[in-house]
Amino acid sequence: MAQATTAAAEPMVRLERVSKRFGATLAVETASFDLEPGSFLTILGPSGCGKTTLLRMIAGFIRPDGGSIVLNGRPVAADPPWRRSIGMVFQKLALFPHMTAAQNVAYPLKMRGFPRQGMAERVERYLSIVRLGGLGGRRPHELSGGQQQRVAIARALVFEPDLLLLDEPLAALDRKLREDMQLEFRRIQRELGVTTINVTHDQREALVMSDRILVMEGGRIQQAANPVDTYARPANRFVAGFLGVTNFLPGRLASLAEGRAVVEVEGTRLEGLCADPSLAPGAAVAAAVRAERVRIAGTGETAPDESDVEGEVVEVVFEGDRFVYELRMPSLGGIPLRLFDLDPLAHPRHAPGERVTVAWRHRDLMVFPA
Amino acid sequence: MASTIHDKGAGRPVGLRLLDLLEAARELLWPARMAPLTPWLFLLPAVLLTGLLAAGLIPLLDASLRPLDRATFRLAEDYALGNYATLATRPVYGVIALRTLMAGLIVTAATLALAFPYAWMMVRTQHAWLRKLLLVSLFLPFFIGQVVRAYGWLIILGKQGLLNALLDGLGLPPSSLAFTYTAVLIGLVQYMLPFAVLMLAPALTAVPVEVELASASLGARPFATFRHILLPMARPGIVAAGIVVFTLTLTDFAMPEIMGGGGNDFIASAVYDAFFQLGDAGLGAALGIGLTLVGSAVVGVILAFFGLGTLGYVEGREERS
Repeated sequence: MAQATTAAAEPMVRLERVSKRFGATLAVETASFDLEPGSFLTILGPSGCGKTTLLRMIAGFIRPDGGSIVLNGRPVAADPPWRRSIGMVFQKLALFPHMTAAQNVAYPLKMRGFPRQGMAERVERYLSIVRLGGLGGRRPHELSGGQQQRVAIARALVFEPDLLLLDEPLAALDRKLREDMQLEFRRIQRELGVTTINVTHDQREALVMSDRILVMEGGRIQQAANPVDTYARPANRFVAGFLGVTNFLPGRLASLAEGRAVVEVEGTRLEGLCADPSLAPGAAVAAAVRAERVRIAGTGETAPDESDVEGEVVEVVFEGDRFVYELRMPSLGGIPLRLFDLDPLAHPRHAPGERVTVAWRHRDLMVFPA
Repeated sequence: MASTIHDKGAGRPVGLRLLDLLEAARELLWPARMAPLTPWLFLLPAVLLTGLLAAGLIPLLDASLRPLDRATFRLAEDYALGNYATLATRPVYGVIALRTLMAGLIVTAATLALAFPYAWMMVRTQHAWLRKLLLVSLFLPFFIGQVVRAYGWLIILGKQGLLNALLDGLGLPPSSLAFTYTAVLIGLVQYMLPFAVLMLAPALTAVPVEVELASASLGARPFATFRHILLPMARPGIVAAGIVVFTLTLTDFAMPEIMGGGGNDFIASAVYDAFFQLGDAGLGAALGIGLTLVGSAVVGVILAFFGLGTLGYVEGREERS
């Protein structure tokens, strides 16, 4: 399991071996990570991976079975939510419909015993931070979806919590608004420097918004790394498949030396990289190559550091910025392969039924235990 | 008959021709151009029923304005306010009215206070078995009926009852709750509880659990969340349940009759006595009119205070996001 690089500063959040079991299911298994002050972490995973349970344990809605949660130097695992300095934005926003936007934002200040004096100014200041200045008198149902999001953010931040939690608040929005709000969250988060944990199943959101991504599956943290490393150097087969469009070629390891692996797939030998030195020749492996790292090559056009394989076009789709090819690979046992041609205007379109040679660099083939 | 479906000799199968016949009959009774009125047709039975009830008030009002002629034991031919004067001047009716109104207020407050946590638990619990248990316990008393339940309470509260046996066992002095006002109130609260819970549950279901979680994460302790979030958001259900419990209590007959032991009559008991003990239908009608007025006035005040939107007619359309 990947560990966070220890920062020089005291972490704002430290989880140590936090676990939660629901009946027979282990929802979260010994989750540990540190989070530096001011950084943005995304917990990414499919539904049911335990990410929401983990977030709710940090928020205080669910009590962990074991492990410790330290927030700003103080252990909080036994504290109720109202005693933790955590702001939270929910997927359903959970605005109070009987209060105006300003009353919603003032609510945590009143509940947390902030002085009355200056409260109205503070509420107005946070409303303008989220670009809702002057709309404080409106009720939630008089605001658009995006504006409601902003009220929820202002309400979660107005009391200057140590930590901001985002429980998939963007999942219900349409794509355009979601992408706008991703950048908006990031802007506000940078402006205020608030440490943030975001939960999502949307890989794009994770890549766009985060300083660090924590990929979860089956209650376990699979990888914790920055977005580029998570995408470029997935820790295991699950992470490789969850982010991006990845082709998996099942085979056997022929040899492995200094991270360079040779894999045999249905009699074809392919070179690739393998980060797992424990694998022995003969082990069942999955060789993975991303759809955008595969190209269609003319005959005899391949470079010495490339593998080339014959394929047959099954389907081709034009998506504006790319051709998406579905191929069948007779020399790899007929397995399907997906390929993105990211320069569709410069290349001819290959029709279904056409035989083509596809190629990828050796270093783009990642070898994982099957 | 099974073969008739395949019988194409007569052109169309018998089944379809039967449908044609029905269709024609429908066209005759309720032509297609009447279709826009169809929704109103469904409203008609209910409107007729409530209308009938309102119309029933007219003969009642008529009777209430005719004092009893003590010579003939018939209601007078001419209108007079004698019955209402009797109600106003005989102190016993004031006492009964006050006792009934007080019971309405106390029972409503107590029932809502007990029903709210019950309904909340029923709506929010994660455990299916607990929800089922709460629901079954709620509906079980419905099958028993008010009279039997009242006698059940007498068994518990009576001199040789379970309560006194328990007190005796604990070495405490026996209580004499049976046939008291308190006994009537206890019986009524228990009777009203299911109604209140059933009306509160949907109102609480309409409050998303995330709203409660958000309130907690924003710094509110459970009581503050209840007071500032749950109470205002569940207001339609609370007001509706309150109105139902209050009016049911105000007009209740069996509980004060059985558990009050004759000394704790409500208005309904007085109505009964006027009609069937005194044989004075005029006085009984006046009591009935008075009860209707008091009940309507209280409900009117509640609705004026909280607004019609309280019942969810207007606010129910708000997005609860």
